[in-house]
Amino acid sequence: MAGADLKLLGTDYQIWKKKQRREAGQYYLLCLVGIFCFFAIWQIAVTAGLANERLLPSPLQVFETIIEKFYQKEPDGNTMLVNICASLQVALSGFLLAVVIGIPLGLVMGWFRLAEAFFRPIFELVRPVPPIAWIPLVVVWFGIGLQAKALIIFFSAFVPCVINSYTGIQLTNRTYINVARTFGASETEIFRKVGIPSSLPMVFAGVRVALGNSWSTLVAAEMLAATAGLGYMIQQGRTLARPDLVIAGMVVIGAIGAVLSGILSYIEKRLIKGQKNESN
Amino acid sequence: MESNMKPKLEVKNITKTFFSDKGAFQAVEDVSFQIREGEFLVLLGPGRCGKSVLLNIISGLLEQTSGAVYFNGQEIHGVNPEISMVFQKTAVMPFKTVQQNVELGLKFAGMDKKKRAEISEHYINLVGLKGFEKSYPPQLSGGMKQRVGIARAYATNPEVLIMDEPFGQLDAQTRYSMQNEILRISAEEKKTVLFVTNNIEEACSLGDRIVLLSACPARVKEIYDLNYLPKPRDIVSKEFLDIRQKISDNTDLAL
Amino acid sequence: MEKKKNSVMNIVCIILPVIAVLCIAIGWIAFSTANPRLMPGPVEVFQRFIRTFTNPVARVILPGHIWASLRRVLIGLIFAWIIGIGLGVLVGWNKKVRAVLGSVLELLRPIPPIAWIPLVIMWFGIGEFSKVFIVFIGTIFGLIVNTSAGIKLVDKINIDVGKIFGGNQRQILTEIVVPTALPSIFAGIRTSVSSGWTTVVAAEMLGAKAGLGSLVTKGWQGNDMALVLVAVISIAAIGALLSVLLSKLEKVVCPWNQI
Repeated sequence: MAGADLKLLGTDYQIWKKKQRREAGQYYLLCLVGIFCFFAIWQIAVTAGLANERLLPSPLQVFETIIEKFYQKEPDGNTMLVNICASLQVALSGFLLAVVIGIPLGLVMGWFRLAEAFFRPIFELVRPVPPIAWIPLVVVWFGIGLQAKALIIFFSAFVPCVINSYTGIQLTNRTYINVARTFGASETEIFRKVGIPSSLPMVFAGVRVALGNSWSTLVAAEMLAATAGLGYMIQQGRTLARPDLVIAGMVVIGAIGAVLSGILSYIEKRLIKGQKNESN
Repeated sequence: MESNMKPKLEVKNITKTFFSDKGAFQAVEDVSFQIREGEFLVLLGPGRCGKSVLLNIISGLLEQTSGAVYFNGQEIHGVNPEISMVFQKTAVMPFKTVQQNVELGLKFAGMDKKKRAEISEHYINLVGLKGFEKSYPPQLSGGMKQRVGIARAYATNPEVLIMDEPFGQLDAQTRYSMQNEILRISAEEKKTVLFVTNNIEEACSLGDRIVLLSACPARVKEIYDLNYLPKPRDIVSKEFLDIRQKISDNTDLAL
Repeated sequence: MEKKKNSVMNIVCIILPVIAVLCIAIGWIAFSTANPRLMPGPVEVFQRFIRTFTNPVARVILPGHIWASLRRVLIGLIFAWIIGIGLGVLVGWNKKVRAVLGSVLELLRPIPPIAWIPLVIMWFGIGEFSKVFIVFIGTIFGLIVNTSAGIKLVDKINIDVGKIFGGNQRQILTEIVVPTALPSIFAGIRTSVSSGWTTVVAAEMLGAKAGLGSLVTKGWQGNDMALVLVAVISIAAIGALLSVLLSKLEKVVCPWNQI
């Protein structure tokens, strides 16, 4: 009897699985349809002459330009790889500096009253200035080298790092702190072993915003003050009336941004998973 | 008496199997019972077992794998305006005032504002929330939120009310007073009620009859008739403690 | 003893912020007196601030520049809010729309708002429309993503309530799902305001006749660092003001959330 029931369930299960698979397949198909339509409409609009080709090149042309840029220096004077490396170097150095300084500062500010009293007003004064508005000052101080741009990126990434670690650690569950205190942990021990781990998810959210800000600010910084980099490339594309180069730059910037955020998600998953395993 | 015995709602051979990537899971197996007109029927079952699933099938939110639900002798599919529900997690809308929450079903039915206000006033008074019409749920206690849920369910004037562990999230004190409230309300507004709980004492003090369900998958173990005990019941009387013990001995342990 | 320690702590906590602000002020004065060409002092900046009223820059006084920037942001944002939130609701609610539109959005979303500026300038020049359009295109993707995420996160039980009480799809969407998602929609609005403000400043820095961003560039090119600082401080002040106004607005729109 029970065996018969199970067998019946088995066939039902197969039917369910098939249906599930079909639905997933349909979903992915629709995704592809969406993307295909996007490119098709774009391509048709250009080839049919609906859009001015001097303003909007076709997707195929953009693709060609991207490939071409990998071995050709013209018109901005650097190959794609050089531009990518220049941008990554600037963005990552500013970003990493912000992470290394911003997170500890935020954590200390959120945990120790004296640190909060001193740093919070300074931070609140600097915070509302959009990072790109620092560009002229920084350029006057440091020129247009790596240092200057990294400093601008630093400003843009610093703010979310501080805010999120500050709020994250302030939201630490009071019960955990009291438990640790009952078991005789010292204040620094509680900070290290209770406060910091419990703030991690918020800190990571901040790092994610910081990365997005860095990459976006980088483009602005390179458009205003640079001799290489992806932002410089699209700015040159604009002044030379090369829309294909501009769009190629946007595509590469978007793609690298997506890859960077993917890498960050991977690191986050590994780190937070490790934390969970530890607590078990 | 004879007319009182005809089934308002009949559940016949309901089975529900869920599928997931991990495999099949049977939540309800071949459950049948009847609810008579004007009756307060309690479904009693241990822990997290197919009770809510069964209710969702009766109310039309879920589709059964096999079996049927009959309402006034007719087989029904999908949600039915004559069957209303009080939800487990209160599920009142935080962004609507008490009055707007109570008027939800009436608004959906396209009733005009004045008539809605009249009806909602009546039910807000009935559940004892007079003076809180303009409050938002986050300002209310758990018991008060569930009163809103009860008023909302009554406001559409359904024939059958389903209550899915409505007091499960409340503390013991509030739970007792809410049980008394529901007795008072159901005495004032004669309705057929299907009440689900995992608490034996609650079942014994509220139910005209009790349908005892087994642990997973949910099956009907036994049906108890408590009509010989007049309400409100004395929960320390001998008869009450006897039936309570009897049901308790027959209940599967929940883990 | 403990009490005394506490009151000392309280006094220190009141004095420290004052010291911090003084530190900044002293640092600024020291740096500017040592390197007057790199950094104008506070007094000089204040005098320059007064002069923006008497000696208009590009024939516009400071409030005029502020208004130019603000107007661009507001118009662009209003269009982005209407279209972005509308599309976000559709993408979050309907699985088919999500599949078709969502995939295209995921493609366009990683492009930073500022990277659109050169293309938009090529298309529409450096006039008003192109500024407004940059704000629009720079903020709309974030709005769609935030809104649709909020809609998707709506607890299923709320939708069940709608079904039980006889709501049709449209009623459930407007009466239950959208209001439930309102806090996440508002989070999207808040992000859009700050990124819109940044974007418009960047767009103005790259080419504009008026606006706070153009003041920055003019000061920079004319070696008038005091003007740059006046503009930067104004940009920061307006940005902070906008975010304060927004949290006030949120209290009005979502009164239940403040309890």
